[in-house]
Amino acid sequence: MNKPYKLKPHICRFCSLYPLGDKRIPEELMSYKNEIPYLKGFPYPLPSKKSDYSCCAKTGEIEWYGASNGLTRYDKNAEREEDIIMYFSADRDLLDNNVKAIMPDGDNIWVLTDTGASYIEMKMISAEEKAMILLDETEKYVDRRGMKSQKYLTEGRNFDSVLPYGHSDNDGSFTSGFSIGEIMRYATYKREKGADHPDTIEAKRIATRAVEANLLLLHVHCRGDGFAARTYLCSDEPVPDDGLFFRITGNKAVCLETTDSINKNCSGVEIDASAEIPARLAKLFTDLGYTKDDLIYKADTSSDEITHHFMHLLMAHEFLACDDPELDDLIISSAKGLMNHIIDHGYELHDFTGKPTSWAKWSTRYFDTEFGWVDGALNSAQLLMYHLVTMKITGEEGKWRESYDHLINDLHYDDMTTAHFDRLYQASLSGDYDFVEDIMYGDHMLATLAFWGLCILEKDEDLLKKYRYGFKAWRTSMEREHVPGYDLPYALACPDEEIDLDRLAGWFYRTNSSCLAAGVSMLGRHDVAVRTRRNGYKEISALMPPDETFISKYDRNPVEYKNEDSGGVMCIESCYVYTFGYWLGRYYGFFE
Amino acid sequence: MNNKLHIISNAHLDPIWLWRWQEGCGEVLQTFRSAVDRIKEYKGLVFTCSSASYYKWVEEIDPELFEEIRKLVKKGKWVPVNGWWVQPDCNMPSAESFARQALYSQLYYYEKFGKICEVGYNVDSFGHNAMLPQFLNLGRMRCYVMMRPGMHENAEIPENLFWWDSPDGSRVMTYRIPECYCVNGKNGIDSELASLRERAEKTGNGMMFFFGVGNHGGGPTKGDLDYLSELKENGYEELEYSSPNNYFEEMCADRIELPVWSDELQHHASGCYSATSMVKQLNRKAEFWLSNAEKWNTISSKISNLPKATEEFGKAWKEVCFNQFHDIFCGCSIMEAYDDVRDSMGYAMKIAANEENKAMLKIAGMVDTWLDGVTDAQSREVRHHCRNLKFPRPIIVFNPNSSEVEANVRTYHPSRKVEDSNGNEVVFQNVRSSRSNDSHLDTVFKAKVPALGYATYWLWHEDSEYTEASVFETDVKADEIYLENKYIKAVFDEKTGGIKSLVTKEDGIEYVGGEFCIPTVVDNSEPDTWAHNIFKFDKEIAKMQLKSIELVENGPARAVIRVKHLYNGSYLTQDYILESESKFIRVKCRVLWQEPLTILKMPVTVGGENPISTYEIPGGIIKRPCNGEEEPALTWGDITAGADSRKGVAIISDAKYSYDCPGNTLKLTMLRNSIFADHYSDRPDADFSYCDEGLHRFEYAVYPHSGEAENSEVQKLALQLNSKLVAIPVGYHKGDMPRVNSFISISKPNIRLDAFKFCEDGSGDIVMRLRETDGKAVKTAVVCDIADAGFYADFNKFEIKTFRINAEGYVTETDYLEGVV
Repeated sequence: MNKPYKLKPHICRFCSLYPLGDKRIPEELMSYKNEIPYLKGFPYPLPSKKSDYSCCAKTGEIEWYGASNGLTRYDKNAEREEDIIMYFSADRDLLDNNVKAIMPDGDNIWVLTDTGASYIEMKMISAEEKAMILLDETEKYVDRRGMKSQKYLTEGRNFDSVLPYGHSDNDGSFTSGFSIGEIMRYATYKREKGADHPDTIEAKRIATRAVEANLLLLHVHCRGDGFAARTYLCSDEPVPDDGLFFRITGNKAVCLETTDSINKNCSGVEIDASAEIPARLAKLFTDLGYTKDDLIYKADTSSDEITHHFMHLLMAHEFLACDDPELDDLIISSAKGLMNHIIDHGYELHDFTGKPTSWAKWSTRYFDTEFGWVDGALNSAQLLMYHLVTMKITGEEGKWRESYDHLINDLHYDDMTTAHFDRLYQASLSGDYDFVEDIMYGDHMLATLAFWGLCILEKDEDLLKKYRYGFKAWRTSMEREHVPGYDLPYALACPDEEIDLDRLAGWFYRTNSSCLAAGVSMLGRHDVAVRTRRNGYKEISALMPPDETFISKYDRNPVEYKNEDSGGVMCIESCYVYTFGYWLGRYYGFFE
Repeated sequence: MNNKLHIISNAHLDPIWLWRWQEGCGEVLQTFRSAVDRIKEYKGLVFTCSSASYYKWVEEIDPELFEEIRKLVKKGKWVPVNGWWVQPDCNMPSAESFARQALYSQLYYYEKFGKICEVGYNVDSFGHNAMLPQFLNLGRMRCYVMMRPGMHENAEIPENLFWWDSPDGSRVMTYRIPECYCVNGKNGIDSELASLRERAEKTGNGMMFFFGVGNHGGGPTKGDLDYLSELKENGYEELEYSSPNNYFEEMCADRIELPVWSDELQHHASGCYSATSMVKQLNRKAEFWLSNAEKWNTISSKISNLPKATEEFGKAWKEVCFNQFHDIFCGCSIMEAYDDVRDSMGYAMKIAANEENKAMLKIAGMVDTWLDGVTDAQSREVRHHCRNLKFPRPIIVFNPNSSEVEANVRTYHPSRKVEDSNGNEVVFQNVRSSRSNDSHLDTVFKAKVPALGYATYWLWHEDSEYTEASVFETDVKADEIYLENKYIKAVFDEKTGGIKSLVTKEDGIEYVGGEFCIPTVVDNSEPDTWAHNIFKFDKEIAKMQLKSIELVENGPARAVIRVKHLYNGSYLTQDYILESESKFIRVKCRVLWQEPLTILKMPVTVGGENPISTYEIPGGIIKRPCNGEEEPALTWGDITAGADSRKGVAIISDAKYSYDCPGNTLKLTMLRNSIFADHYSDRPDADFSYCDEGLHRFEYAVYPHSGEAENSEVQKLALQLNSKLVAIPVGYHKGDMPRVNSFISISKPNIRLDAFKFCEDGSGDIVMRLRETDGKAVKTAVVCDIADAGFYADFNKFEIKTFRINAEGYVTETDYLEGVV
C-alpha cells in the first residue's frame, strides 16, 4: 500500500492577457529593451530552439527567456525537475508566441508579443485552494441546472461570453464524475471538520445538487421503464441537430426532426411519457419556472452514461445519502429501475423502438459482432459492476444475483473481463496499426469505474482475482497518462500495486487554476520528441505538465501531438478534471 | 474458427556448425538455387527463408540468382522472414546487438526487396530472453516463430500459439513449432501432418507445417513436393503452401483467445551459455568497443572535420551480428570455425580501435592543454613528452558511459604526482607494469570523468625534481589476508584462499554465508557441448587447492591480494583489487586450464532465508528461482537472501554469460571444457580438442549490497567493469575546448545511452538510443549540445527508445530502423 504523500503549496501560473492598445499595458513595455540570453551549454531542454531566443529578464533568482515561439521560465533552484523549465505559450498564456520584450514587475512580469501583452503572476497555492478555485469557476460558469459538463463561449477566453445553454452528449457521465468528486469532498470535510461545519454543509449542498441532477436524467424521459436519458434541454434552449430528441407534451413525447431521427425514420413518432418525475428532482427545473412540458430529452444513450450513473449511485448511497433517506430512496429506486431495464431487455438499453441504443449493449449478440468482440472485455465488466452495485445499494440479491450468476456461470462474462488488451492488440495486428491508435480514450474512465466497482464489491476471491487481472489489462495504455483519476481507483482496487504518487503530485501541482479552454503550443516545441505511429498518428515521447498541454477531460490521449483543448478553444470545462482525483486522493489517504 | 494447416516450405541453414563459413556460404547458394527451381516447377509453392547475411552472400556471388529471388519476393512466392542478420543466439547478445541485427537487416531487405520482414523467426535458437518481444517490435516484427525449448524441456510455456509479453509492455503473437522445422521424407511428413491436424482440431487454431531439408540447407525436395501433391488429392484437401506472414494474418483476423506468457522461454541447451569462452569474450568486448567507438566518432565528427564512419561501423557490426549465430556464439561449432570467428571479430574490433583512436585524438587535439612556459622546442627535443620533467604531462581520460564515472585508470609510465585540471592532487599509485624493461611501473590514478565526456589530468614524471611527491590519506588498508576501504572489508581464508568475511562497513552487514570465492571443479563428462537434456552442472569433483596468497600492492589508490590455486596441471591466479572508495572488489583472473570435460565455477554464498537470484539479461533484469539450473546472463548475476533486511552479492564479469544458483550460493561458470561440437556425446576414442583448454584472462568483481539487486548499484558497476575509462596521453597545445567536458546530460541514472551514431541514410542526423535499466518507469530530460538538442522522454520499465535528431536539433522518436523505412 502506498504511503500518504504530503502535497505542499505550489506555484501556479496566473496570466492576464491584454490586446495591443489596452490601456492597462504599461507604456514602458512597448519600448522595453532586453538582452539576448547566452544559452550555450544550458543544462536543461528548452522549449524553443536556442537561436530563437531573443530577450531575457530576471525576477529574483528566476530567469525568463523570450523566443519567437513562446516564453520560457528558468528556476534553477526548483525542487521538482518539471518546474525547472516552464513554458508559456499562446493562446492560454500569451496572445501570440512572438515574444518581443519581457519587463519585470517585482516577482511578476509583463510580456510583450506581436498582438498584445501578458501579465504573468506565479502564485503559491495549495492543491485544495486550487480545487476550490476550479469549483467556483464551474459553479459560476459551467453549471446547467445542476449538470456539469462544459459551457460554450462566443468568444475565446472570455468568461463573459458564456452561453446560457448548451448540452453535452455526456452530461450524465461528466456530471457523475463531478458528483463523485464532490461527494468525496463532503466525506472528507465531514471526517475532518465535522458534519456541522459550514464547509461541510456547503460541500453537501453542491454534492446533493449534482446527485439530483444525475438522478433526474434517469426519470426526465417519463417513460417509466428504467431508461436513462443522455441529457435534457428546456424549451428556451436551441435543439441541436445531433442525435434523437423528444419533446414532452402532456403524457406523450414526440421525436423531433433531426438528421438522425430522419435517418432512423422516427421523426414525429409519439411515445409514452406519462410517468411522473419525482418532485424533489423536478425542482431542478420547476424552481426555474419550467414545467414538464418544457422538457426536451435526448435519447440513444450509451454505456458510458450508464456506467457513470451506477458508480455515482454507489458513491452517493455510501457517502451522501446516509443522512438523507429521501435521496437514498430515490437512489435505490433509480438503480432498481435501470438494472431491471437492462436485464429485462437482454442486457441492452432499449430505445422506444424496442431496439437497443447504438452503444448501450452488453449482450452476447453484440459481443458476437466485430465491434462488440473488442468491446466485450469492457462491457462485460460494466454489466457485472452494475449488478454488484445494485445488490449493494438495494441490499437485495434475488433477481440481481440470479442474473449475475448467469452471466458468470453460463456466459463466462468474468473471463471476458480479462481480455481487453488481448483483443485490442489483436485488432491492431489485423488492421496493421499500433494498438494505441485505436484506443478510445474515453474508455479509460469507463474501465476505471467498472473495475473499481467490481474490485471493491466482489468478495469471491477467484472472481476478484480475475477482475484485478482485468483492470491490469488496461494499464498498458492507462498508466502512461499518470492521471490521479485513473491511478487512485486502480490502487484502491489493486492494493498490492504501487502507483507513483510523486508523479501524481506533480499533476496536481501543474494543473491550471482555470478550466477555461485555450489552445496551447505543442507543435514546434523544441524539447519534445515526436513519434509517428504506424497509421500516421502523432504522439510526443513524454507526458508534459498539464499546464503546458491541452485539457483532457478523461477522454483524450494526453500525449497526442496537438495544440487544442478537448472541447476546442471556445469553452469552459468542468473542474471534475481535477476535483475527481483530488478529493478521492484526499478521502482515501493517498494525499495529505 | 480458422484451423487449417499452413504448409511452410523452408530450409534451415547453419552457416557455421559442423563446417566452416565457406562451406555454409556454398550451402546457401545451392539451397537458394534449388528453391528458385522448385518454385518454378511447383505451382503455388512459396519458400520462406531468414537471415539477411545469406541474401547478401547470394547478391555478391550470384547476382543473377539474386535477381530471380527479387522477382519471386515481389510476387510473394519467396518470403524473407526474421529481419535479423542471422538467427542469433537469443540469450547472450546485448540489447544493442539486437538493435543492430534489425537495423542492418531490415534496411537491407527494404533496399533490395522494397519491403521489410514482418515476422520474427528463430526456429533453432536455444532459448529466448524475456525482452525479445520488445526487440522484435522495435524492428517492426509483431509475430514470432520459435521452437526451443520443446514441450519436453518446458511444458509450462503455452504449447502452440500464444501471446508473448515482455516487461516493457511489448507483445508478439508467437508460434511454437511443436515438433520440427525441417520435416522431410514420407514418414516424417505423414507423422507431422497427423500430429498437426490433431492439434489444430484440439485448439481451434491454424497450425504451420514446416518442411524442407535443413541444417545444412537443402529446402523442399522434389520427392516431398510430389508427395504433398499426392496427399492433397487424398484426404488433405486443405493443404496449401503458405508463409508465416499469411499464417499470422489469418490468425489475427480470427477471433481467438490465446494464452499469455510473460516470461523468458528456457531452457534448451544450458551448456551453450558457457561453452567456448573465447567467442563469448570476443563478443562482449566487441559489443562495448563498437558502441563506444561509434559514440566518439559521432562526437568528433560533429565538432571537427573527422569523417563519419557509419559505413565502417556497419561492416564491423555485421561481423559481430554474424558471429552471434546460435551455433557460433553458443560455442558448439567445430574448432576450425573459431579460427574464422577470431579473425572476423578481430576485424570488427580493429575497426572499433581505429575509429575510437582517431576520434579521441581529434577531440583531444582540440582541448586546451597548453601550459605557460612550455615551448615547442622543449617538447620536440625529448623522445617522449613524459620525459619533460619541468611540466606535468597532460592525459585526457575519456568516459564512454552516459553517467559520470569515478574510477582508477592506468597509464603506462610511473608518476611522482597526479593533478586534475583544477590543480588538485589526485590519488594515484605506481603499480607493477606488464613489461620488464625500464621502470617496470605504471601509474594508476583515480579519475572522475563526466558523462560521455573527458577530463584532463596532469601527471608529473617520477623523476621530476620540480614537484613534491604526494602524500595521501587513504581509505585503503590491507595486509596478507585482508583488504579494506571506506565501504568494504574482506578477509581471506588462509587455508582455502576463499573469502571468509565480507562486510559493508556502513551497516556492518556480513555477507559471507558459506563457500565464497573458492574455485570449484565440476564434472562435465556426461553433458555434450550443448548439455542436451542436462540443466544442472552440480557434480562437484574438487575444490582447487590453495598454492599461495600474498599482498602484492598496498597503496593509496588500491591494494591487491594475489591468490593462486592449483588443480592437477592447471592453475588459477586471481588478483583481488580493492580500489579507494570502490564498492566492489575486482578480480583479475589468469587461468591455465587443461582438464578435459570439467567445469570451473566460482561460488559466493549469502546466508539467510528466501534466496532470490537476479540476472542481467539483454535489455533487462530477470529474477529466477534458486533451483541450481544453469542460467544465462549478461554482465552480472546476483543472489539476495534474508528475512527482513535483505543482503545481496553480485558477481559481475567482463567475459562470462553463465551462472547457477542452488539455494543460497550463486556460482559464476568461469570455464566449461567440452569437446568441440560434441553432439549427444557419441564420442569415439580419439584425442579431442577441447573448447576451453589453454590460457584465459578475464575479470570478475564481487559486489556486496543491501536490498534487492534492482535497487543496488549493480547495473552501474557492471557497466564500469565492461566499459572502462580510456586514458590518452597528449601533447601541449592550445585549443577551444575546455579541459573537462561532457557531451550529454541524462537526468535519470537508470536511463543509459546504448547508441550515439549517425543515421544510416547519410542525412547527417544523429541517432540516440536510450534504455531504462532498473525496471522503474521514469521521465528523463536529455540534453546534447553538440546536436543542439534537449528533450524529455518517458520510459516504461526496461523500455528502449530510439531518437533521431535533425540538423536543427528537432527530435523524432523512431525505432531500430531510424526512420529510414
